[in-house]
Amino acid sequence: MSSCENPNVDKDALMPRRQKFDGKTKICVRCKENTGNVVIRYSVYCKTCFFPLVQTRFRKSLEPSINATPDGPRKKALKAVGSLVIGLSGGTCSTAMLDLVAKSYFAPKNEPTGKLKGGKDHPRNSDKGVWKGKAGISYVEVCGAFPGEKDRTEDIRAVVESYSNSNFEFLPLRLEDSFDSNWWKSVGGDLSTSAQSLARLDLHLVNSSSESSPLQALRTYLSSLPTQTAFYSAVQMLVRLLLLHTSASRDASHLLLGTSLTSLSVNLISGIAQGSGYQVTEEGKEEWNPRPEHGMPLRIVRPLRDVGMKECTIWDWWCKLKIVGEPRSLYSGGKNAIGALTRDFIFGLESDYPATVSTVARTCAKLTPKEGSDEICALCERPAQHGVQAWKSRISIRSYQEVSSAVSGNTRPPHLTEEEITNLTKSSLDITPTSDHPFSLTPLLCYACHTLLTSRSSRGLAASLPQGQSTGDVPLPLWVRSSADMAISAHSHESVPLAVKMSRREMEKEISEFLLSDE
Amino acid sequence: MAPRSCALCLKAKSMLKRPKTGQQICRDCFFYVFETEVHNTIIHSKLFNPGDRVAIGASGGKDSTVLAYVMKTLNERYQYGLELFLLSIDEGITGYRDDSLETVKRNQEQYDMPLKILSYGELYGWTMDAIVSQVGRKNNCTFCGVFRRQALDRGAAMLNVDHIVTGHNADDIAETVLMNIMRGDIARLGRCTSICTQGEDTIRRSKPFKYAYEKEIVMYAYFKKLDYFSTECIYSPDAYRGHARAFLKDLEAARPSAIIDIIHSGEAFEIKEEIKATQKVQQTCQRCGYMSSNPLCKACTLLEGLERGMANSGITDRGRRKLDAEGPTPDNLRTIPFFRRPSGGYPAIAVELPS
Ligand SMILES: [Zn+2]
Ligand SMILES: [Zn+2]
Ligand SMILES: [Zn+2]
Ligand SMILES: [Zn+2]
Repeated sequence: MSSCENPNVDKDALMPRRQKFDGKTKICVRCKENTGNVVIRYSVYCKTCFFPLVQTRFRKSLEPSINATPDGPRKKALKAVGSLVIGLSGGTCSTAMLDLVAKSYFAPKNEPTGKLKGGKDHPRNSDKGVWKGKAGISYVEVCGAFPGEKDRTEDIRAVVESYSNSNFEFLPLRLEDSFDSNWWKSVGGDLSTSAQSLARLDLHLVNSSSESSPLQALRTYLSSLPTQTAFYSAVQMLVRLLLLHTSASRDASHLLLGTSLTSLSVNLISGIAQGSGYQVTEEGKEEWNPRPEHGMPLRIVRPLRDVGMKECTIWDWWCKLKIVGEPRSLYSGGKNAIGALTRDFIFGLESDYPATVSTVARTCAKLTPKEGSDEICALCERPAQHGVQAWKSRISIRSYQEVSSAVSGNTRPPHLTEEEITNLTKSSLDITPTSDHPFSLTPLLCYACHTLLTSRSSRGLAASLPQGQSTGDVPLPLWVRSSADMAISAHSHESVPLAVKMSRREMEKEISEFLLSDE
Repeated sequence: MAPRSCALCLKAKSMLKRPKTGQQICRDCFFYVFETEVHNTIIHSKLFNPGDRVAIGASGGKDSTVLAYVMKTLNERYQYGLELFLLSIDEGITGYRDDSLETVKRNQEQYDMPLKILSYGELYGWTMDAIVSQVGRKNNCTFCGVFRRQALDRGAAMLNVDHIVTGHNADDIAETVLMNIMRGDIARLGRCTSICTQGEDTIRRSKPFKYAYEKEIVMYAYFKKLDYFSTECIYSPDAYRGHARAFLKDLEAARPSAIIDIIHSGEAFEIKEEIKATQKVQQTCQRCGYMSSNPLCKACTLLEGLERGMANSGITDRGRRKLDAEGPTPDNLRTIPFFRRPSGGYPAIAVELPS
């Protein structure tokens, strides 16, 4: 269609271009005394006023969700029902977040930088902490996915120890823990013996006989993914699920992630571009329920969601914090992955249209999923919509079997005979599902995760790992095996027989004793 | 590489790689799945009733040319029982519309469909050329977009049709989803993925190509040898939209399903109830009877600005207040004819029949 179809007639729909900072006002807008040191969203602040500015935004995003009844009156003391876990990646924003948490809620009584402690009547000073027990600071080492990348665990440990706070506990994790049954047991997960070896062959659940180390399993899993986009998203998803299950095992009520306003906007657009619009609210604010009796409902809070990346950098710089840094390959790698493309796009727009970043976050905060759902995706453990497979096959026909109702008689493809189309619409029934592996992973997945595992690139695979044996079965993260196991056993308790076509070999097995040999 | 056989019929030699799925298929299967997906869209959304009079918004560009062909094909194959019309808007841009209107006239004969061409000059008394000479090239897309939307509805009312179908494709819709999020246009975001829109006073409007990839529309036209013209407006497009379009192309290159995935996302969410409540209610324009969120619709406001020689004042609210401050609307002002919805029966005007 022509480019003027959707005119931006509303004044507020026009994106304002960057207004150059005029340079006239040099006095801090807050104290109106000091000469400004930084410009934040068109306003000048001095160094003294910068810290409370950021800390106020941090608290506004975090504190309304601390008490069990969310958004309650803030006069009440802050009291969480469980413990706290902080996700630390070593990047700019999570480093600033750890510092803000330490200074706001875990500051030793006689800390010299009194300015950051909050008021005298601040609940922190009422002796007991906001959260129960020690705060876990959790780091997920991702070098297993990127051969040649440095292991940063000890650097991060040093960052945590630099706070010499007896209430902080370092919790190092590794990406390959997702495939390690020792880790899964340590977080209270259980698996039946058969589920231990559950893997996938395409999208069928199979029992794998091949034993492999967690690291090998991780690499096989990642190299089985069809696109760079899927590879990078899968790594981020593993990090997220490792943090969730670890938090639940510590009876945590809150998991804090260092997502800045800038990265929130990137995540929102990137998620929408990968088909996870149904979960758009989860990117900003989310509550996750562990398996029954394995922890309490966990709130995932991003207390820097209203603070830009630039402010985080300034915070780190002025507080002289050591930035270990995130592995370069995780973010600047995968140039052709949707995540990196979105990042480049949003960063690029930010310089010309600085309002974009906050507009994206503000717009998405006004959205809600269209219909309720009680389904949870086995892979990402976020809410999943019903009917996505029907939607997919209606909109992109990948076999005549999928559209068998529309292709008969006069409405069949004109170049095919009645007999040919009949064979085509029938034959694929034999393939899905097979008698050996009657269970499919598909119904357990949300739209985005199904797309992640199946949607191909026209360029072919370009992940950083050598392609694994694509014909073999692919290990699954342990939480997926546990969910699949539950689904299978729920299914087998039902007396409804599965409509599975019997193979000739199977028929033979059943009737073998009745068959007489030719001899 | 040796030619493979078609992934769908397993019989013919594969001739193309389908942009939407990456499958290698033959030409006949491509036609068939492309058409069947449009059919699925139509049937699943219950777009039409037998006997409906449906106008195809025809610009002579690729989308509407292929749409007219596919609508005719499906109407016959599945016996929808529709009466199809072609409806074209002539914006009055010298050297831009002439060729594409020729295409539409040829389609009228090939497809045996009645055609109505409605011009901005006829409806508003202003051609786009005349508007651009007044407002310059900065805001002309605002005029063009507002005027076209109304013009299609008015043309449809003249043809007395129940329904307008437009050639908006999946790329357009995905791009609009992204644009509306980035611009914070929450009202449009809420409705841009719905396949069919109908206000109380407007004619049903739908997009049967909602899930059709632009590349496949071009491919379809190419293999069916349908000719069309580029309808990219020669007056400047919107730079911000240009960024969004380039981004979408990158996403599609990274993972072709991205276009459909964005639409799926857009369909999965809606505006929170408490936000909906704060949005403006629809009313009808007191001057021309067209739907509007203000007492005066956008087209009437823009037209009044043009007529009073203060063309740019119709674009913003501030401009509008300035216009009001200049004094009341003169009585002898040229206005748009009053809008009436078709109420069944015969066409309000005679249409040109194919010769
Ligand atoms: Zn100051
Ligand atoms: Zn999922
Ligand atoms: Zn074929
Ligand atoms: Zn009006």
